[in-house]
Amino acid sequence: MGTATGIIKALNSGIKHLAVKRFTLRYPEQKLKFVGDGYQFDPASGVAIAGLKGRHMLFHDHCTGCQLCSIACEGVAEAIAMVKVPDTWGQNKKAIMPQIDYGKCVFCGLCVDACPFYALYMSNDYELSSFTKEGLIYTPAQLQVKPQVQQDSELIIDKRGARHG
Amino acid sequence: MTEQVIPTKQMPPGLQVENIDDRIMTLNVGPQHPGSGHMRIIVKIDGDYIVDADPDPGYVHRGEEKMAESRNYITNIPHLERPVIHDSCNILYPYVLGVEDLVGIEVPERAKYVRVITAELNRCIYIQYWLAIYGIFLGHSTMFMWPAGDRELLIDLMEKITGARVTHAYFIPGGVRNDVPANFEDVCLRQVNYFEKRIKEYADIFYDNPILKARTEDTGVLSKEDAIRLGTTGSVLRASGVDYDIRVKEPYDVYDELDVHTNVLKAGDSYARSKIPWLDMLESCNIIRQALEKMPKSGSIRTKLKPNPKGGDDEVYRRVESGRGAAGCHIISKSKPEPYRLKLSVGSFRNLIALPYLLKGEKLGNMPAVYWSLNYWPVEADR
Amino acid sequence: MSVIAPKFRLGYFLKAIFDNAFWILTLVTLAGIPAIQIALFFMPLPVIDGELLTAFLAFTWLFNPAMQIPLIKTLLYSDLFRIAAFPGFGFAALIAAGTIFVERKMLAKLQLRVGPFYCGKIEGILQLAGDGLKLISKEIIIPAKADKPLFWAAPVLFVGTAAAFVALIPVAPGGWVVADLDVGLLAVFAVIGFFPIITILSAWSANSKFPFIGGIRALHQMVSFEIPLILSLLGVVILTGTLNLSEIVESQSNFPWIIFMPIGAIVFFTTMLAELERIPFDLPEAESEIVAGWLTEFSGMMYGLVQLGSYLKLYAFAALFVIIFLGGWTGPVFWPPLDTELITEGVPIPNYVGDPILTVATPGLPLFDKDPNEWVLQEQGELVYTSGQLLISGVIWFVLKTVGVIFFILLPRGVFPRIRLDMLLHIGWYKLIGLAFVNIFIALGLVYAGVIGPGGIL
Repeated sequence: MGTATGIIKALNSGIKHLAVKRFTLRYPEQKLKFVGDGYQFDPASGVAIAGLKGRHMLFHDHCTGCQLCSIACEGVAEAIAMVKVPDTWGQNKKAIMPQIDYGKCVFCGLCVDACPFYALYMSNDYELSSFTKEGLIYTPAQLQVKPQVQQDSELIIDKRGARHG
Repeated sequence: MTEQVIPTKQMPPGLQVENIDDRIMTLNVGPQHPGSGHMRIIVKIDGDYIVDADPDPGYVHRGEEKMAESRNYITNIPHLERPVIHDSCNILYPYVLGVEDLVGIEVPERAKYVRVITAELNRCIYIQYWLAIYGIFLGHSTMFMWPAGDRELLIDLMEKITGARVTHAYFIPGGVRNDVPANFEDVCLRQVNYFEKRIKEYADIFYDNPILKARTEDTGVLSKEDAIRLGTTGSVLRASGVDYDIRVKEPYDVYDELDVHTNVLKAGDSYARSKIPWLDMLESCNIIRQALEKMPKSGSIRTKLKPNPKGGDDEVYRRVESGRGAAGCHIISKSKPEPYRLKLSVGSFRNLIALPYLLKGEKLGNMPAVYWSLNYWPVEADR
Repeated sequence: MSVIAPKFRLGYFLKAIFDNAFWILTLVTLAGIPAIQIALFFMPLPVIDGELLTAFLAFTWLFNPAMQIPLIKTLLYSDLFRIAAFPGFGFAALIAAGTIFVERKMLAKLQLRVGPFYCGKIEGILQLAGDGLKLISKEIIIPAKADKPLFWAAPVLFVGTAAAFVALIPVAPGGWVVADLDVGLLAVFAVIGFFPIITILSAWSANSKFPFIGGIRALHQMVSFEIPLILSLLGVVILTGTLNLSEIVESQSNFPWIIFMPIGAIVFFTTMLAELERIPFDLPEAESEIVAGWLTEFSGMMYGLVQLGSYLKLYAFAALFVIIFLGGWTGPVFWPPLDTELITEGVPIPNYVGDPILTVATPGLPLFDKDPNEWVLQEQGELVYTSGQLLISGVIWFVLKTVGVIFFILLPRGVFPRIRLDMLLHIGWYKLIGLAFVNIFIALGLVYAGVIGPGGIL
């Protein structure tokens, strides 16, 4: 009889779950919300601020071309190369800025930890696919643009279960 | 090769192995097989009984330990978490503890609590993934979808803390890289409570299912003496009746201040080995709740390192309890920014030794149940 | 469809169009026209109102409103319609397609996910069509050492046997069954006995290890569950005294047999799951051990045909369960009789402001009644229900009951793991045969006690 009750309990559990709300996030019609603006690092205190590790954002008015981000990435993925930029800034005498290859980047954030001038942050943008490998290399001008990230749904837990709504 | 080291079990009565070349068929449960993971098992079967099983790992070997010798202690962190990408905190834990010993820095109290919380969350994430694959190996598709879905609750938490869903790269020698976001305790408590409610539902549909019990009980029985002799670790050891959990016996960080209960089952069969990780997950939820209460409300979470940290002429070995068993890291440093030699000792590879021993004399139908119940993660075993 | 298209050459494109046109024309003239002439030679032409209905006459009458209804009715009651559309292949294929859709969405809801939702505007309705197109477009790969004639024939044989099974199932009162045999149930057993042979032939002809193991397991499973299948149905045969499936349904006009034979129903349900290779009995296709079992080497539309045959078998088994245990098409008749004004006065058709300006008189509107004058007898009170009412209401009851049984067949897929071979053989040869014999003893006891059966109380 233990077998029969076990089978009936299992079937009962299955039928009960037909009434629970579905959990799936229907991407791309629904996209998840993020709190905050992305992963940032504060060199004064030496501690980072929590946020999504997405596409980088380069602040041209802070970057001095010190290459510390590139050196930090050398042991990890070698995704940052310094390139010459046409604009001239007072703090950037050599006129070089980082160019990030997202085909190699592993989004670990050590480059953000390495920057001492509040110039490199990571933003909330994660949709970075492209049709060509060259399209994945983001020049400093492209990194300057603040991304428009669409976010509309979040995880809701209520009486009928958890779902993305 | 395996016959010399591992003694054979008693064959079931009536199974005579004669005319070895005629009746025995060699089956290649290879890497391109829905039931094998990234590994190959060369199985010789006689009708329905397995006569010999020869595991053939190494398909995912990257040389991670050799690559670690050319990276300094900080850039080793995204590198060494790759063996198990979703359990990254538990793989990095022994490495980070070892480097802290070498460099000689103290970790602040709040950082220790945050480390414990993320380590337990990662343990649950890994066990859910393992349970999902265990379900699908046995043909239970619901048991694949439910753990994979419920794991999203915890991955969401990890993303709020560290910024990445997998490969968090969160630990660093000296603490953790960033503090938890504001009002994190409420969100974490709510999601962990709901997660615990969800995994208790697995009892009805999976663990009390009479078909599952008839399928996995009394198969692949590993006795207590054999478990200790073969050197198994983690949930395999605790399912055979040995009360050993590194969080309790050799506590690290703040585990000595938390109340950790070890789950032990005496049967030693596949059913017990599949049940222990589930009980461990319920235990982890308790640990997370305790840690959230006891965590100091403010404080620094990172001790600043000198640039280019290096240890002296020293070696250190630390180990922790990861989702698979004992994960250890042995570092030899010679006053340079890069380690001279780094060895990762992982639980999966230790448990693999038991596989040919357990599969001899088993029916072919029991092979996926026994193989995956050894809590084996192919990528980590190959490193 | 890949994003990177091969280079377009006009010459190749024109050549492809010309090739297709050439082959279509050749096949139609050389093979199609003789086939039609042969078929017409053997088909009996019906006689309507004293005139022999040739093809030309049929097309002329299609535009005569007075003769449309008798024309369509002769088509409805012909053999071809029965085989291809209503109780035969078309109906079964429609229910099979619905089953596949419901299975995917219901399992998805049970597993807290969505299932197909992208193909087709409403929640993925067209997913099956997409899958069918994909399977057709794939290359069929035959292993080099396989036994080619058998390997090609296996899926076709499978679908053919499944269609033969579907042909024996009565769906509605009034003889709506493709093959009305007096020994219908025995023919069902004979057809079911073909399936293990086809499975082992297709597994053997593939000449490879995984299909071999899968085929042997399928053979063990199907053969060992055939005996409890036959025995569990014999209880009902003892109680009704006939093997004709339509008469078994007629005998349940007051109560279904499941009330007296619950053990038989449970045994039949379990053996049904085993014959259909549904979870928990899907050993022959155990994915994690033997890749895909005896289906490993099938690719493209051969796999599609095997799946079609499998779901046709599912419909046929569920229909058999409904016929024998749940009372087939019996149930209260709820379809209302047709309005007599519609038949005598005709249908008024309004113009665009709403005034009726035209009345279409269609004598003999009752499309589904066998005899066109049944409505007269119903008016006079001599006939309770016309055959059209019985037909429609019977079909609806049948479909509802079959859908209910199919729901219970689909449910264990989300709830149970796979069973092991020795457990399966133990169940099939010990427990189920024992329970089936208990069932037969209950039936014999009921008959001898004079409760049911000829000369009984009920």
